[in-house]
Amino acid sequence: MLKTPGWHLLIVWYFFLGGIAGGAYFTAAIADNFGGSRDRGVVRTGYILSLLMIGVCGILLILDLGTPSRFLNMMMHFKFWDPMSIGAWMLGVFGFFAFVSSALSLSADEGRAPLRRKFSLVGTIFGFFLASYTGVLLSATALPFWSDARLMGALFLASGASTGMAAISLLLYLSGDSAGEGFKKVKRADRFAIVFEMAVLVLFLVLLGSAAAPLTSGHLAPLFWGGLVVLGLVIPLLVDVLGARWVPAVIPAVLVLVGGFILRYVVVMTHA
Amino acid sequence: MARTLAMFTDTSLCIGCRACQVACKQWNELPMEEPEWTGSYQNHAHFTDKTYRLVRFIEKPQPNGELQWLLMSDVCKHCAQAGCLQACPTGAIHRTEYGTVNINQDVCNGCRYCVSSCPFGVVAFNADTGRANKCTFCNDRIHNGLGPACAKACPTESIQFGFRDELAAKAEKRVAKLKEMGYTGAQLYGVDSNGPLGGLNAFFLLLDKPSTYNLPEKPLLPQRNVLVDSVLSVGAALLVGVTAVVAFRERGGKGAGDA
Repeated sequence: MLKTPGWHLLIVWYFFLGGIAGGAYFTAAIADNFGGSRDRGVVRTGYILSLLMIGVCGILLILDLGTPSRFLNMMMHFKFWDPMSIGAWMLGVFGFFAFVSSALSLSADEGRAPLRRKFSLVGTIFGFFLASYTGVLLSATALPFWSDARLMGALFLASGASTGMAAISLLLYLSGDSAGEGFKKVKRADRFAIVFEMAVLVLFLVLLGSAAAPLTSGHLAPLFWGGLVVLGLVIPLLVDVLGARWVPAVIPAVLVLVGGFILRYVVVMTHA
Repeated sequence: MARTLAMFTDTSLCIGCRACQVACKQWNELPMEEPEWTGSYQNHAHFTDKTYRLVRFIEKPQPNGELQWLLMSDVCKHCAQAGCLQACPTGAIHRTEYGTVNINQDVCNGCRYCVSSCPFGVVAFNADTGRANKCTFCNDRIHNGLGPACAKACPTESIQFGFRDELAAKAEKRVAKLKEMGYTGAQLYGVDSNGPLGGLNAFFLLLDKPSTYNLPEKPLLPQRNVLVDSVLSVGAALLVGVTAVVAFRERGGKGAGDA
């Protein structure tokens, strides 16, 4: 009988917040490089959010270890084929990029903006990595469903994008910056990400076939269908597309975030 | 590297006495565990952080309705391509000069990735020490000219210890002999160095197909998925990136929401 690693809520939170960190970072970097001056709120919020999240992620990962005092032992080896090993390294590399991008986005004068843009464009790679490698990490195990899911990394990446963008829009909303152009654009980007995530999810389930049973018909199924598919994807998209003005702009963002958490929860808890 | 050592477990000779299981516990100073009712004589049910050797008692229904005992002393396979070793980010799991796979308890930090990467469900997390545990191939004993405690204790030579090449030749002869005697299901598991996982350094002679013993017919290396899944993730990243660029792109300085 195969053994499960006993990863629970700490890892669920890590996968969720790591996705937000990666997603918020590449969203900010793309807004920085391809957007305009009116996207500065998005840029700054995204960088700083990713920095804060990556800090929390590091703490979550260390706390989850059986022997937390030995977390630096991860740095004694580098195995390029091993998601756990590269992941530990990339957490540090990504943290560095998030820190520098955040620092360069703080000053009011945009003299350092060209440097920040180039630097962040490189960091985008690590943002994408952080959002997706956790899925590949699960698929590179001996356990059924996890190892059967060819698109786990892609699905986590799509969810990292939609939740990262939702988190930025939520923060902009809360800071009273929801009237600007940047807010509209990040909402639009999030709409694309949600559609993409739905497409990946459909493909993910089709490719899995009967191996998807733990999600689609097991005891986690109500959470999967109700929490992720309906609440976390379909409703936010409908609200957005139909332009239901009576729904506060904050609701779709919150729903996307809840859905992103539920996705990590149902996937991880399949082998709790 | 020294000549590869191996254990050959010939299940046709096992009488289910569990001397191996007890010798393992004693030599490795493994504490007792709460027994678990398995509905069979087998105890314990699974490998744990405190049980590295385990005699499986399998009851196989016969055509006449009676049950046939299939006994198998199971252990870590010390795979030539070991999923746990490849998954270990700290290097705690390493290959010894004898080809065995061992967990350095002074290095392991308890991330538990190895636990989910073993195709046989061998590696177990020890919550008391916060580290992963499994059969050490009696690393201390083999470095002092002694065989593993289980092989030493086995009264029927069902568990044999020696150089891999010699044991493999012996195993081939034995399986041919059993077939001659009419045991048509007799087969070797893990002896082939070109087979799954590059061969197992603890290999077996089974009297029935592997799945009867709850062994995977064709164990796979978990890391086989990394490349394909990474490429698919990169593809997804490119698509997400393009949609984000489209969403944020400034059109002639206007950039209104007309996507």
